[in-house]
Amino acid sequence: MTNVLTQEAPASRDQLAQKMSVKNLDFFYGETRALKSVSVPLYANQATAFIGPSGCGKSTLLRVLNRMYSLYPRQRAEGEVLLDGENILNPKQDINALRARVGMVFQKPTPFPMSIYDNIAFGVRLYEKLGKADMDERVEKALRGAAIWDEVKDKLNASGLSLSGGQQQRLCIARTVAIQPEVILFDEPCSALDPISTAKVEELIDEMRRDYTIAIVTHNMQQAVRVSQYTAFMYLGEMVEFDDTDKIFTAPKERRTQDYITGRFG
Amino acid sequence: MSALQAARKTRSAVAMGLCVASAGVGLIALAFILAALFWNGFSGLNLKVFTEMTPPPGSSGGLLNAIVGSLIMTFFGVLIGAPLGMFAGTYMAEYGRNSKLTTVVRFINDILLSAPSIVIGLFVYEITVVQMGHFSAIAGSIALALLVVPVVVRTTEDMLNLVPGSLREAATALGMPRSLVIRHVAYKAARAGLITGLLLAVARVSGETAPLLFTALNNQFWSTKLDAPMASLPVVIFQFALSPYKEWQALAWAGALIITLAVLTLSITARVLGAQRTSK
Repeated sequence: MTNVLTQEAPASRDQLAQKMSVKNLDFFYGETRALKSVSVPLYANQATAFIGPSGCGKSTLLRVLNRMYSLYPRQRAEGEVLLDGENILNPKQDINALRARVGMVFQKPTPFPMSIYDNIAFGVRLYEKLGKADMDERVEKALRGAAIWDEVKDKLNASGLSLSGGQQQRLCIARTVAIQPEVILFDEPCSALDPISTAKVEELIDEMRRDYTIAIVTHNMQQAVRVSQYTAFMYLGEMVEFDDTDKIFTAPKERRTQDYITGRFG
Repeated sequence: MSALQAARKTRSAVAMGLCVASAGVGLIALAFILAALFWNGFSGLNLKVFTEMTPPPGSSGGLLNAIVGSLIMTFFGVLIGAPLGMFAGTYMAEYGRNSKLTTVVRFINDILLSAPSIVIGLFVYEITVVQMGHFSAIAGSIALALLVVPVVVRTTEDMLNLVPGSLREAATALGMPRSLVIRHVAYKAARAGLITGLLLAVARVSGETAPLLFTALNNQFWSTKLDAPMASLPVVIFQFALSPYKEWQALAWAGALIITLAVLTLSITARVLGAQRTSK
């Protein structure tokens, strides 16, 4: 890579493996160019936060990483997005296999209209044939991993829709974790949650870093500081600055980054 | 109170009065119809209606063959029409949401939805009865199926469109192929609405006379053969009500009451299911 980011990267960052790597990515909604030659790494077992004002393209970028945009006919991406060195934008890429490896948690909780147990088991059944006991174990592990087991263990047959918003979001995280992905994308996962639920989910994201590579889009800069090791600041479809989270929030190199984090715009 | 406000109040009162009056006219007409139906229907209703065949003129009997005929043809009509409608509606809401074909199909479907049922009856007469050389229950079922299709297409598309896109994205994000997303997530989320649509389609066709008149015709005797003419409640009512015989007229009233109660039950069930969907 020849872009500015890696040249200026500190030595310690070079030793990290790049789980995913976005290179010169352009994205179009019809004729509108929403991402302009964006490059950014996602380091393995690190959390990378994407910040920037509304419409800057951070959610768009996230939706390229699991090719969610492919659902919509007039959206297309150009450039390279590598996952363990393989370009996932390759038309031959098996999209469903990709999404099994790159999970996603959305802004609004989206439990399926089925029981709490089935919300988890459903995804697992897509990939593995497990016996009852193994499935029970997997469901419990996923729910524990999303810090919601104690709250739902006595009502696994209740509808997922009967839970509170914060619980629903953790159920969705459990559902994503259950199929054992490698990367998890969070698209403003706490914006619909109250402060206590937010704290729980943030804590969770921090713990999940041990097992997964994490990308999180957030509007909340304190959240970026709390959960991420690296932060990317985007503006008007461009990647303005990518650096250690500490550096971005204490000594950003770019004027625009500084203006944004100090609240001068956005 | 200013003059402006006073004028507004008057206009509001007039508009309100007109609305109440129109609603009243409609409801009173409906009340009279129902009152006449219940009054005459109940007096003709007895056990024999459900146990005996339609009688020849001048003697007493029941409606058993007509009731069973209606059930059979409605069943097969829905069996043929509902899957067709579901598949078409699913295509329109899930696969071809932005395609030209969907727009065209929706337009044609709307025409079919409001097409006079006698036209459907004549059409099916041409393509089945004339070809087979005789009237038959299967022709009747096909005619009813053609009435079921547009209702089910419309409700399926509408109900699937109400399923939030975020739910589909969430399922897709798990790596679920589209067919599974539709079957296990979209259908499940829209289930109450889809069942409501189906019940409304059943209610719609179970009272249809015209499409059966040219297809299944009628049958005075017990018959469950699909390739033979078959009796049905609406056609029997039509025939008996126009007749000069007292016994036939009484049976026509009883039959009308049975259909009305059946359709009412279906509609209420559909409403209750619909309400469950919205309250969840």
